[in-house]
Amino acid sequence: MTSLKLTNLSKRFGGVVASEDVNIEVPTGKIIGLIGPNGAGKTTIVNMITGMLPVSGGTIHVGDTDITHAPAHEICRAGLARTFQNIRLLGEASVLDNVMIGFHRHETSSTLASLLGLPASARETKALKARTMELLAAFDLTEFSDYPAGGLSYGHQRKVEMARAVATNPNFVLLDEPIAGMNDVESDALADIFEGFAQDGKGVLLIEHNVRFVAKLCSYVYVLDGGKLISEGTPDHVLSDPAVISAYLGGQDA
Amino acid sequence: MSNFIAGYLPLFDLYCLHVGLALSQFIVLRAGVFSLATAAFAGIGAYTAGILAVDLGAHPVLGVLCGTLMGMLVAMVLSIPLARLRGVYQAIATVAFIQICLSLNIYSESITGGAMGLNNIPKTVGTGTLFVFAALATYMIWAIEKGRLGRAFNTIRQDEAVAASLGISIRKHQMLAFAISGALAGLFGSLEAYHSYAIDPRQFGFHLLITVLSYVIFGGRNSVIGPLAGAAFLIILPELARPLAENRMVIYGIMLILVINFMPKGVADTAIDAIKARRLTAKRGDSA
Ligand SMILES: Nc1ncnc2c1ncn2[C@@H]1O[C@H](COP(=O)(O)OP(=O)(O)OP(=O)(O)O)[C@@H](O)[C@H]1O
Ligand SMILES: [Mg+2]
Repeated sequence: MTSLKLTNLSKRFGGVVASEDVNIEVPTGKIIGLIGPNGAGKTTIVNMITGMLPVSGGTIHVGDTDITHAPAHEICRAGLARTFQNIRLLGEASVLDNVMIGFHRHETSSTLASLLGLPASARETKALKARTMELLAAFDLTEFSDYPAGGLSYGHQRKVEMARAVATNPNFVLLDEPIAGMNDVESDALADIFEGFAQDGKGVLLIEHNVRFVAKLCSYVYVLDGGKLISEGTPDHVLSDPAVISAYLGGQDA
Repeated sequence: MSNFIAGYLPLFDLYCLHVGLALSQFIVLRAGVFSLATAAFAGIGAYTAGILAVDLGAHPVLGVLCGTLMGMLVAMVLSIPLARLRGVYQAIATVAFIQICLSLNIYSESITGGAMGLNNIPKTVGTGTLFVFAALATYMIWAIEKGRLGRAFNTIRQDEAVAASLGISIRKHQMLAFAISGALAGLFGSLEAYHSYAIDPRQFGFHLLITVLSYVIFGGRNSVIGPLAGAAFLIILPELARPLAENRMVIYGIMLILVINFMPKGVADTAIDAIKARRLTAKRGDSA
């Protein structure tokens, strides 16, 4: 069993310490929670893992492979996919096109075929379209396939982004506040999808402010405050930890 | 009737040549590179072919081939420093590159003929050849759009972070877009050399840059129809009346300001979007 492993991961923005000696392990087949008050440094960690922010110290491994300083597109090829806290879709492109680009990593037609419009290129486009439609069906998005992604509701846009991440067929999925702004029905549907990821053998790192949602899904939870881990363990353990209560739950009414 | 056609043939030749250059400009913009170097690559292609023809008496096929490869090679080399720049800084750097090419051209008078240009290039390329190459170039850009590369280019242009997070190598794809752009400009530059007896440095400067950019902005940057329609419109429009033709650049300027303000996506893309939107509304009507 491989895992995504952060060892003493640190990040400084000038004088601001956004994360300090963070140790997190996400095994495949499990949903791991990462919680913490606003500004705790959660998104910063996802940005470092995915190569969007340079790491100031520590290491990131997928299995035995060190990806600490790998460029973002190679990290995707190492089997990591993410969603963004502030949804990032290609607003004017259709839902279908948005999800289809997720398959890029698995496209095999040669550059020459693509330049000359050889049959291999057209076949691949057709096959990917079919696979995209399957994925859209799994996310209950079929009816929106031709619509510009930017015009969908917030909840639907989040699902499009998730479908795009899944299209890369990752071993690990990093979800940055995936149910923010959703109602209970929508978030329950997503909970099922996340459990499906784990059953497929994917490791999931779930960042979420909704503590009940995290407690329900996660087998293990890390709590971050001011860039440092202040607690970790099972949801029950973490949520009854006085340090967590004062730092996180005390800070806001969750 | 045949007189009428003969009268418009030079215009059609110009259209075919400029479609090739417009596609060269189109493909880099599509991949999210704000390069304006097409005019310089065209000059490099034209001079490569011209020098081979005049000094060495090379066969036109060899001349066109070398012009194309030279445009591609220079573009790929230029893409390396440009990869560190973004947006308007890329534009400025490529304009500077055009200026450097012009200066080098004037400076190397013994090879290039300097400000006088190259003369006595045998005219071996006619309307038929130009049309075939313009059609092939259009097909290639259309094919790119339909496949893996078009999808990658689109993503990079719209959001580099998303592209990288999906495993798309930005550097590799932008270099490829540059190579295609340079090859197309080199090709049509060398065709121009074999089509017009003579070339001179001023042909490949700021004036050409603005002309080619106008085609793409006016027509649209998303669909291959854009540069085709843009070039057609802007070449034909000034021909409708003599005073217009004499003030071609003024017309281009006015048209550009109007289009950028009222149809920022360009004429063709705006029309395509409208058709798509209507289709979606009709579909919704059916299912409701
Ligand atoms: N690019 C940056 N430059 C400077 N400081 C930054 C940058 N990105 C984040 N920070 C700082 O790092 C800290 C952690 O921010 P981060 O976005 O990771 O928090 P978060 O836990 O995701 O918060 P939220 O729950 O609001 O999303 C904050 O103090 C933030 O101001
Ligand atoms: Mg965040």
